[in-house]
Amino acid sequence: MIDEAILKNWFFTEIFPLDAALTRFIRRNWRNEADVADLRQDIYARIYASASERLPLQAKPFLYITARNHLINCAKRAKIVSFEHVADLDSLGFPHDAITPDRQLTAREELYRAQEGLNRLPPRCREVVMLRKIEGLSTRETSERLGVGIDTIEQQLVHGMRALVDFMLGGSGKIRRKAAKSRVSIKRKL
Amino acid sequence: MKSALSREHTAAAWLLRREEDGWSAGDGAQLEAWLDADPRNRIAFYRMQFGWQKVDRLAALREPGVPTRVHSSRRWWGRRGFGPGFAIAASLALGAIIVWQLGLLERHTYTTAVGARSEVPLADGTKIELNTDTRLRAEVNANSRTVWLENGEAYFDVAHDATRPFVVHGGTRDITVLGTKFSVRREGDRVEVVVVEGRVRVDDLSASPDRTMVITRGDIAVSQGVVLKVTHSEEHAVDELSWRRGMLTFNEMTLVDAAAEFNRYNHKQLVVVDPRAAGVHIGGSFDATNVEAFVRLLRQGFGLTVEEEGNVIRISR
Repeated sequence: MIDEAILKNWFFTEIFPLDAALTRFIRRNWRNEADVADLRQDIYARIYASASERLPLQAKPFLYITARNHLINCAKRAKIVSFEHVADLDSLGFPHDAITPDRQLTAREELYRAQEGLNRLPPRCREVVMLRKIEGLSTRETSERLGVGIDTIEQQLVHGMRALVDFMLGGSGKIRRKAAKSRVSIKRKL
Repeated sequence: MKSALSREHTAAAWLLRREEDGWSAGDGAQLEAWLDADPRNRIAFYRMQFGWQKVDRLAALREPGVPTRVHSSRRWWGRRGFGPGFAIAASLALGAIIVWQLGLLERHTYTTAVGARSEVPLADGTKIELNTDTRLRAEVNANSRTVWLENGEAYFDVAHDATRPFVVHGGTRDITVLGTKFSVRREGDRVEVVVVEGRVRVDDLSASPDRTMVITRGDIAVSQGVVLKVTHSEEHAVDELSWRRGMLTFNEMTLVDAAAEFNRYNHKQLVVVDPRAAGVHIGGSFDATNVEAFVRLLRQGFGLTVEEEGNVIRISR
């Protein structure tokens, strides 16, 4: 078994930088846009399971093979994709062509990207995130500063964090409120 | 079945909660249970953490010279907004870019002998004060500032530069600076962090998933093995840093602990051989390298017996 800290580090340095490329790959090869986040999550879970036994020597081909096999399995099981589509997947070619990582951003480019992500947030959400990340205020301090309830601040932060993380990893940076309905609330200690 | 998006939502809520001041061991256990419940939970949490760290770049906007591209949103809450730090002068933009490109690579090892202290400036303007018998390496480059504290104790007065995170590695603990003055002391796997100003994040890399704690002014965090303990006392924090003036300050400390402190600064070693003497409590400030004066106090003030032989001073009742 691989130690959890090593596994986590491997995900941070080898796998997550390929997140945008993986998402593109899924999107290109799967018809239903609504399934993308679930498929990505399941692919990561498969990778996590194998990597916790032994770390693959090369992350990129391993990610590609896992993603490809998962899509083929899902397509067969769901019978929602035509046989031709599966054949396409099989003939996609060499692993290094299938998942093309984005160039690593410099610190300055990441800063600009984060700012662009902020600009895409609704104004209230943007302000709450700015107070957190720029001024370093806690949820309670933000709540006091703005005269708004802690729960509201927390919700805004959760939405803002998800949208910004999505944007930093190459997504559209849009807030997805639908999932909020099924949220699990975590008990807050005051 | 839970969808990836609702899992992501829960992961985000945990991550935010963990950054808050009131985070407790009980909260940690709850998070642990959630992470263990399903590998997809863990992955969602890690992925969120990975992305959120990238958003940390925004801290660069604390600097007045960094050009911001963010639209102001102050009117939406009907309050006054962010203060002068966010007012951007276009003329400063050029300066900021030049500073960025000056990130020269620099890596050095610094050491001090027993009883010595020294102050070293880093290329980014950070000042490090090394206490007795200390060894550390420091690297400053265009993207990051990193210090490895191999042994001993050091005080950091970190220059603001949020585009280059400042991280101190001390064994299995990582101390990430959120703009601040603080000290770190390392003896083997025991790591102590004292914060004088600002905030510091302590990551315990030995725990899985690693634990994080944000400590602020007046907090003293001590970690050893699996234990991470935080106490708050501004007075005590000041005492802990009296070495910067060459002094040791004891606040009702037992003689055994006080002797151990002196022994860090002197070749002449104090050994408490009598358990009845070991429990004597000592208070006050002492010159760290003047062990003779301390021994005189023990003999005259506390009536203890002192025998000196070579570099060893034995203390008994």
